Amino acid sequence: MIRRLLDTLYLAGGAVAALAILAICLLVSAQVSLNILARVGGPAWSYTIPSYADFAGFFLAAASFMALAHTLRSGVHIRVNLLISRLNPRATWALEIFTLALAAALSAYATRYAIGLTYESWDYGDMSSGIVAVPLWIPQLFMDAGLVLLTLAFLDTLVESLRARRPVIADAGES
Amino acid sequence: MSDPVVFSILLAVLLVLLAAGTWVAVSLLALALFAMTVFANAPQGLVLATSLWGHSHSWSLASLPLFILMGEILLRSRLSQDMFSGLAPWLGRVPGRLLHVNVLGCAIFAAVSGSSAATAATIGRMSVPELTERGYPQSLILGTLAGSATLGFLIPPSIILIVYGVATEQSIARLFMAGVLPGVLLVALFGGYVSLRAMLSPSIIPEESQSFTLREKLHASRRLIPVMLLILGVIGSIYSGVASPTDAAAVGVILSTVLAFASGGFNWTSFREALMSATRTSCMIAFILMGAAFLAIAMGFTGIPRNLAAWIGGMELSPAALLVALTVFFIVLGCFLDGISVVVLTTSIILPMVEAVGIDPMWFGIYLVLVVEMSQITPPVGFNLFVIQGLTGVNILRVAKAALPFFGLLLLAVLLISVFPGLVTWLPQAMANR
Repeated sequence: MIRRLLDTLYLAGGAVAALAILAICLLVSAQVSLNILARVGGPAWSYTIPSYADFAGFFLAAASFMALAHTLRSGVHIRVNLLISRLNPRATWALEIFTLALAAALSAYATRYAIGLTYESWDYGDMSSGIVAVPLWIPQLFMDAGLVLLTLAFLDTLVESLRARRPVIADAGES
Repeated sequence: MSDPVVFSILLAVLLVLLAAGTWVAVSLLALALFAMTVFANAPQGLVLATSLWGHSHSWSLASLPLFILMGEILLRSRLSQDMFSGLAPWLGRVPGRLLHVNVLGCAIFAAVSGSSAATAATIGRMSVPELTERGYPQSLILGTLAGSATLGFLIPPSIILIVYGVATEQSIARLFMAGVLPGVLLVALFGGYVSLRAMLSPSIIPEESQSFTLREKLHASRRLIPVMLLILGVIGSIYSGVASPTDAAAVGVILSTVLAFASGGFNWTSFREALMSATRTSCMIAFILMGAAFLAIAMGFTGIPRNLAAWIGGMELSPAALLVALTVFFIVLGCFLDGISVVVLTTSIILPMVEAVGIDPMWFGIYLVLVVEMSQITPPVGFNLFVIQGLTGVNILRVAKAALPFFGLLLLAVLLISVFPGLVTWLPQAMANR
């Protein structure tokens, strides 16, 4: 039950990230089409999507953070397993617990300060500097949500590994 | 504490973290946090949050997921299946014959996909069985595949050059152009080596009985031609300044989707798979980049890279001597780390040193990519070797032995761009002067 809920959460984060990447693609392509229109039709036909580069950047940040947990659980985040793969199962397990605990702590620490940054952006009313001024806390919320998910995923994996008495994330083994 | 001591401590911490199997991005973040807490006096948490945010929403980095997606889409289309049948009819009379399919196929696929492991897997799946069946020598099949697949790093659009460009604040368009001539040089070196081997011992290369008319050749490669036009369009629009790399990448995704659907064998399920896979890969790279950005800032607080640069500068080392030392260092490092991690570690620690002796950072980017390419085919950690072992079942050490001549050719290419830096700098300069 909880297992399924968590897996759905990670996957949902990944899906939001995928949609953000699609959004970058469509937004930038729309602007390129407008550029082509301006070339063909002359200056009278020149349009710019306001702040499109800013928006592409915000979508990218959302994509990178929201996918962190899903990417972790899929075993795509790179690690060096040259040494650990040669140790006996007990040592491998111990190292896995160590790295997961370290990563969970670090991720929680980053989450705490990321939320602090978002709060400050909201408190001071920080805006993006483009033509369309976006309150910065809005895109930063995706960073916070993504980091919360990542922390959750590290803790979840830690508990799972402790119970299973072996590493539970399979390495996808891609470069 | 003196700088060399601090530097050694940090290096030891990093190696322990990596060896324990900590994710590379997490290792970088942990090392940076450690360095700032112990050796500098700054609000670590605040700096961490601002560097995570500040380095995750740049416009030029937006090209990264798009180029990865373009590669994933074409990977799942019929392009990869058609690579062999499309190239083979043209190569029957060249010395070395169909072995050149590996070199050229990899070069073409490298241009659409930035990953050398994906290139090795895609081309190898098609060419290894075909070439083996026709009786080509195994060492040359495996060697050409392992060597040529590394082209993925250099020929634009290159993922690793985007990473380098973002991390060092270089123009990605100019880096792409800088990679074109060295990429062509490598293709020529690899192709030349195969031809030479074939001419020295003609008996090892089987005969190709079939001959084709021009019409038949064009028909066989009818599906490759749109893809080659797509690549030329992407590179050409960046070169001419019509489009930024991000613009070109977005249009590239749309056009490759259209191409993939038009050529058949591609449906919305494949599209969704391609999108999710690209999302994960780009997230993995973005995470490492964020870790590297925080590490670079933390290192700035400790002052180590600056002092290291001053120390190297004080030794009045010639750029050549520094490069020889760095090449050895990178080859060793590359034996244990993947390419992107090597690049981000370099940019956060070594780049100030390189600039201090007067090496052009754009040229250094291309040099670095070549060295990283070498590391892909050296045991014990060479991703191409793993992929080819997985593909063929041949032991990794035998693959590495087959790839050794290509390691030598990469080294030769490094030498050539060092002696003739114009190979790297000429095209970007020509682009700027237009």
